[in-house]
Amino acid sequence: MSETNELMDPTNATGTAVNEHDAQKGKYMTFKSGNEYFGLKIQYVNEIIQIQSITEVPETEDYIKGLINLRGKIVPVIDVRIRFKQEPFEYNDRTCIIVIDVHSTVVGLIVEKIAEVVEIKEEDILPPPSVRHVEKAEKNKYIYGIGKVGEDVKLLLDPDKLLNDGELAFADQANEPAPVEE
Amino acid sequence: MAEGFNTDDMLDVYLFENGQLLEQLQEIVLEQKDADRFDEDSINEIFRTMHTIKGSSGIMMFDDITAVAHKLEDVFYFLRESYPDDVPHLELVEHVLEVEDFVSNEMDKIQNGDPADGDSSEIVANLDKFLKKIKGEATEDDAPPQANASEGPKQFYIAPVASNDSHFYRIYVSFYPDTAMSNIHAYKIVYALKEIAEDLLYEPDDIISNVESSDVIIKDGFKILLQAQNSEAEVRQIISEGYTVEKVDIYECSAEEFAQGFHVGEQEEVHIDLESSVEAIEAKADASGGEAEKPAKPKIAPGDFVVKSKEPGKQKKLARDKPKTEKAAFISVNVSKMDELMDLIGELVISESVVLQNPDLKVPGLNLDSFNKAASQMSKISTDLQNVIMSMRMVPLTNTFQKMNRIVFDVSRKLGKDIEFIMLGDQTEVDKNIIEHISDPLMHIVRNAVDHGIETNEERKESGKKGKGKITLSAKTEAGKVWISVEDNGKGLDREKILSKARKQGLLEEGKPESAYSDKEVYQFITLPGFSTNEQVTEYSGRGVGMDVVVQNIQKIGGTLDIESAAGFGSVMSLKIPLTLAIVNGIVIETGASSFVLETGVIKEFVRVTESMMIHEPNGDEYVMIRGECFPVLRLGKWYNMKNYRESVEDGMMIILEVEDKKICLFVDRLIGEQEIVVKPIPSYIKKVKGLSGCTQLGDGSIALILDPGGLV
Repeated sequence: MSETNELMDPTNATGTAVNEHDAQKGKYMTFKSGNEYFGLKIQYVNEIIQIQSITEVPETEDYIKGLINLRGKIVPVIDVRIRFKQEPFEYNDRTCIIVIDVHSTVVGLIVEKIAEVVEIKEEDILPPPSVRHVEKAEKNKYIYGIGKVGEDVKLLLDPDKLLNDGELAFADQANEPAPVEE
Repeated sequence: MAEGFNTDDMLDVYLFENGQLLEQLQEIVLEQKDADRFDEDSINEIFRTMHTIKGSSGIMMFDDITAVAHKLEDVFYFLRESYPDDVPHLELVEHVLEVEDFVSNEMDKIQNGDPADGDSSEIVANLDKFLKKIKGEATEDDAPPQANASEGPKQFYIAPVASNDSHFYRIYVSFYPDTAMSNIHAYKIVYALKEIAEDLLYEPDDIISNVESSDVIIKDGFKILLQAQNSEAEVRQIISEGYTVEKVDIYECSAEEFAQGFHVGEQEEVHIDLESSVEAIEAKADASGGEAEKPAKPKIAPGDFVVKSKEPGKQKKLARDKPKTEKAAFISVNVSKMDELMDLIGELVISESVVLQNPDLKVPGLNLDSFNKAASQMSKISTDLQNVIMSMRMVPLTNTFQKMNRIVFDVSRKLGKDIEFIMLGDQTEVDKNIIEHISDPLMHIVRNAVDHGIETNEERKESGKKGKGKITLSAKTEAGKVWISVEDNGKGLDREKILSKARKQGLLEEGKPESAYSDKEVYQFITLPGFSTNEQVTEYSGRGVGMDVVVQNIQKIGGTLDIESAAGFGSVMSLKIPLTLAIVNGIVIETGASSFVLETGVIKEFVRVTESMMIHEPNGDEYVMIRGECFPVLRLGKWYNMKNYRESVEDGMMIILEVEDKKICLFVDRLIGEQEIVVKPIPSYIKKVKGLSGCTQLGDGSIALILDPGGLV
């Protein structure tokens, strides 16, 4: 697991690394998209930045909004609402980008509203409910569990699936071998 | 003799130097592989190379490498001294390459921290056989010409130019039994004697490379055969008895006895005590006989003794020469540090433009004279800095090409194909990172060309083709890309065969007639995983893992592979590889809300056109007539389906681009300006977009996409 590696980085004092790891365990960054709240394991989260100017990249999926310049690093950003096939929303100066690092792929997630960091215990996480409609299956595949926090529920996201789902892989395949001419 | 040195450092130097020597060696060998024989310089060079490798490997205690290098050195010593006429050249070339492979293999192991455990015995035996063979043929008719022995100023071996003034001495030096490192002391004597010696032999002969020789010296004494013009007294003065040397005995002897060395009457190289030599003294008046008369006792070839006795001396000499010349000129730097420096300079360039184009400076009424002066000075320095870092990272393709030369040679020999290999533009300089990435793909392509591009000799004859198979490997830079192409004049790709295979694998689209596939599309099939039209899997190809790996690796560095072929006439595989990491001069343009960058190199000119110059075809294609020339027009906004771009040609700007002899007009909204840009890859998360080759950061910190003109044309 890359995040564990990162935490176990030998440059950190070993003691603090372990503590940090413990401290992060079970913590989720939650944000609001549409009417639901989503949770993302905090280990994946690099930082949260304000929305900034985005350079569009043509001919990409609609949810890939483009590239941002994060202190010299070029990071692609995706709009979570569009990713979830929800209605797009207007960005304003309170819109945030959550920069996540999933197995060394750094991607920014544009979310409507950052909620809070919550702790969800293992036993409070339920598997996603069985699928009834095909439509729902589409949405559910990014979600690996449902976490209960008091009265609320948070949909826990699998960032791997969020970034690279079958759709994307398929798009890749369809594109690569095509001869580049014209 | 590693005492007092850091062995790690020594190992690094050893690997580095020998690596270079081996590369040179391979270059020499391959250059002359088609000749009838090696020329004199090459023989000397190979001899010297082997000698150095042997010496340094001996010091580092890599016995197998030493043994192999030693044997090859013997072979080349013989060639150098005797010029035998009928050496089977190709066999010799193979032997040399075999040794080169062995040594570089061992060195790889050493580099990876593995023990160098290769077994040299087979190669040594082969070389022995070969040496015997050429010797057997040579000794009868070719007496070793003496004069050649003295050439080459670097050689310590001094030919026995036996003038009548020469005296021959047998010198017997005994050391005090408690002398430490007596071999070094013995070497000092040898070294001193070299000043006066016309010829010099000594025993034990491995005093430098073999630490144990010191025991032998203590026990049996150190024996020297010396030919010199000096008198006995003068020699005695040189080897004076001292705190280590117990006793020096000098006997004058005859030329004949001298020529027979220590081993008179014996045929093996065994240790011989002094007495048996004394018994064997025979007087012979003819002093000029020297070694040339030796074939009378064929098994004690004169060379055997001479070679060995001079080795330690030469090794010492080279070991002293090398560091002076090479260390001063080169230091090896970790590539990751170079990358870091490169990145930092890139950032510096960007922040420079952030400072110089800062909006704060635009306040009216500011006196910026001295600021501008300082700014232009700074720009100059940062430009220089970029040029330096770029040139540091650039490496000519020569080595990579030489590797290919080797592959062609090996594979064609094994397959029995007669192939001429031509290299063009091997001096083309490419970023170091890129070289590392193209070596493997290129190897596959070259191998393919030899294996199933070029026909067998018989097939060529049948199809009436004249001349040898020919493979041309060429490189050039154009429009900020490196073009490397492998061209063969073989049978070309078989369209039908590929199509039928594709059909079998279910790669063809349903309902699309085969004739609808363009040649290019058909050839693309061979780059798919598991696709090989070779019915038989050979050692070199046919497993269908080649081309897809090639394409993958090339795509990884943002390159493309183009396949062209004409059945019966051969095929051309062209790699187009970007000079990534490069800081390039770019023109920033704007269309809609987006900024793009075009490399300056491809831009021919900027033109403003009027509606009357446009030609519209009914199918939507547009052309523009500029000064009597007609260019196809590509509207960037339309191409990428952007919003809010300028429709009227009179509002925007036409840019004439020229790529690969094709010209198009690119229509954009406006020009922003010229800027030096650092090419950064588009994050791999975003799939490749046609016409884009990367992105960069502009002066204001925003990101612009870099257009790849090749993808647009």
